[in-house]
Amino acid sequence: MEKLHFEYQNSTPVKKFAHVGVVASGDLEILVYPADGEKTTLDITTGSDGFEKVWQNVLDRFFARYPLNGKFIVHDFGATPGVVNLRLTQAMEALKDEK
Amino acid sequence: MKNSFVELNGRQRAFALVDENSGRELVGPEYDMISPHLEPQKIVPESDDGVILVKGTLNGKNVVVISIEGKFQGGGIGEVSGAKIVAALEEALDDNKNGKTIYPIIILDTGGVRLQEANYGLLSISEIQNSVIALKKYVPVIGLVPGRVGSFGGMSITSAVLSYLITTKKARVALNGPEVIEQEAGVREFDSSDKDLIWNTLGTRQRVKTGIADELVEDDVETIKNAISEAIDQKKDAHRTDKADFYLTLLDKIDFSKPLTTEEYRKIFNETKAEKHEIPSAVSSDTPGDKSRGRLWFEKLTGIKNAKSEYPTVLAAEVDGKEYIAIVPDKNNRFPRVRNGEVGLQEGFVISKIVNKIVEEDKDKEVKRPIILIVDVPSQAYGYKEELIGIHIGLASSAAAYAKARQAGHPVIDFIPGDAVSGGFLAHGLQSNRMIALADKSITIQAMSKASAARITQRTIAELEEATKHVPAMAYDIFNYEKLGALYKLVHDVSSWDANDDAVKEVHELIDEAIASTKDQPTDLRFRYETPIAIESGRKATIKMREMVDDQWEK
Repeated sequence: MEKLHFEYQNSTPVKKFAHVGVVASGDLEILVYPADGEKTTLDITTGSDGFEKVWQNVLDRFFARYPLNGKFIVHDFGATPGVVNLRLTQAMEALKDEK
Repeated sequence: MKNSFVELNGRQRAFALVDENSGRELVGPEYDMISPHLEPQKIVPESDDGVILVKGTLNGKNVVVISIEGKFQGGGIGEVSGAKIVAALEEALDDNKNGKTIYPIIILDTGGVRLQEANYGLLSISEIQNSVIALKKYVPVIGLVPGRVGSFGGMSITSAVLSYLITTKKARVALNGPEVIEQEAGVREFDSSDKDLIWNTLGTRQRVKTGIADELVEDDVETIKNAISEAIDQKKDAHRTDKADFYLTLLDKIDFSKPLTTEEYRKIFNETKAEKHEIPSAVSSDTPGDKSRGRLWFEKLTGIKNAKSEYPTVLAAEVDGKEYIAIVPDKNNRFPRVRNGEVGLQEGFVISKIVNKIVEEDKDKEVKRPIILIVDVPSQAYGYKEELIGIHIGLASSAAAYAKARQAGHPVIDFIPGDAVSGGFLAHGLQSNRMIALADKSITIQAMSKASAARITQRTIAELEEATKHVPAMAYDIFNYEKLGALYKLVHDVSSWDANDDAVKEVHELIDEAIASTKDQPTDLRFRYETPIAIESGRKATIKMREMVDDQWEK
């Protein structure tokens, strides 16, 4: 298990809480809250060690398209980059949902 | 087109069962109430710790759905997830007591105790069972076992105390999983690679035919909702833990030295008619029984020399107004899997009869007879026939009997001079309101042997031992167990194998003190949360979760 921390300067504020995914084998859960300060923060707990660079790439690409400014907590149980990207996109969709 | 329920995750399942837009989740993922015990073992936690609570309505009736996420750590019950379930059940109990009807629905998709939090899992599961038994006086408590995990371990015992069990064909129900039986009893007892054998024995298609589950439904959301709704409306109750005479009759007919197929068992099951069994008290004899710490202390505390009984593994007798009960080894027992003192099929049913009789006899008495459990149980019995017949029903029967006795006002006191392991401890020990243990290194107190726990959690024994250093609940000794806060007393100057006169006198006095301490006190298990050790550290996460559920319940 490894803990990773990333920060971004993003422009689109997250206004509510959203949650997607399950900490199942090959999957992850993402918790998104409104940002604490100006920065977007990601705190990732992952069961697969040594993939910091891969996370960086997936996140860079995602935030370049969708600059969400929020606080992210991620619990990852060995999700592939494709699954990570899918869950991030789902989280974004959940944030858009009007309820 | 059918809408699969099984394919949904735990949260979707909980919301799928309630009327549209009526569901409200309690202590949801936004609170990020993770287990504090996983990260120290390098295991990734989940924000809801694998249990989802949703309050809402089902066909207009108030319900609380408790959904166990089978995909997170196999649906194992740890401290936080366990406390979440118990807290919800207790809130529902309070509401029902106050005339506000609410029906609990439990979705079981669980391997039982979360082995990474072993002793917390056992404590929590016994507390869940206590709450379910208390609730059943008011409302049916409906269980749903959709699959894919099914319901195993201590939670299969819980499944047996529920009022009514609905399943799909994608689920299995059993106490010991095939891999554990193979590990503990050998591949000839149960071949865990034989999938047909497993499904034919433990699969719900067999289980509904043999009284272990009640209804098999299609894997479809609407069908499942209707089945639950009907069970609630008709107050369906299988009374699964009130069938001791039936099972004792059935066991009389089975030769445990011979093979037994699933078809043969179904035939015996269908042909069996309950015959009344009397359980005489243990008496003294000329021949010493097989040695164990349990037998030693039973004989010393009761004064019965070379105690023997009709059911040789269960010693029970009333002395000075107190009922003492012990489970002991019997190396020639006709059930091979209980010869070392394990709790098997017969033990659970016999104990339930003894305890239920005491409760019945004292029903109108103001002062209820204390029941003293002498705990020395190396485990539950691991065997193919045990699973085929449903050993978890036996264990649930004694657990339910002890819980009902305690709830009726009987002091139920554990004296632990020996091992207290797993399903054996759930059946004989964990429903007590006070636990007295000896501070003796020979005592093992755990959910599973190291070999099996390592196999199931896919770790080496060395890794497992490393984990026990960081998480007291993972340890196997009574000294770490004390740190959880559940003990009433740890006795430092008495050892397990030395029951000398002074020691016996001291233990008698401690038992009497423990009995006195239950006077005018709650008859549930909350004592465990209220000891100084529990408050300070042992049950901190439990207490926090209970407060949060209480805050968010909305009375």
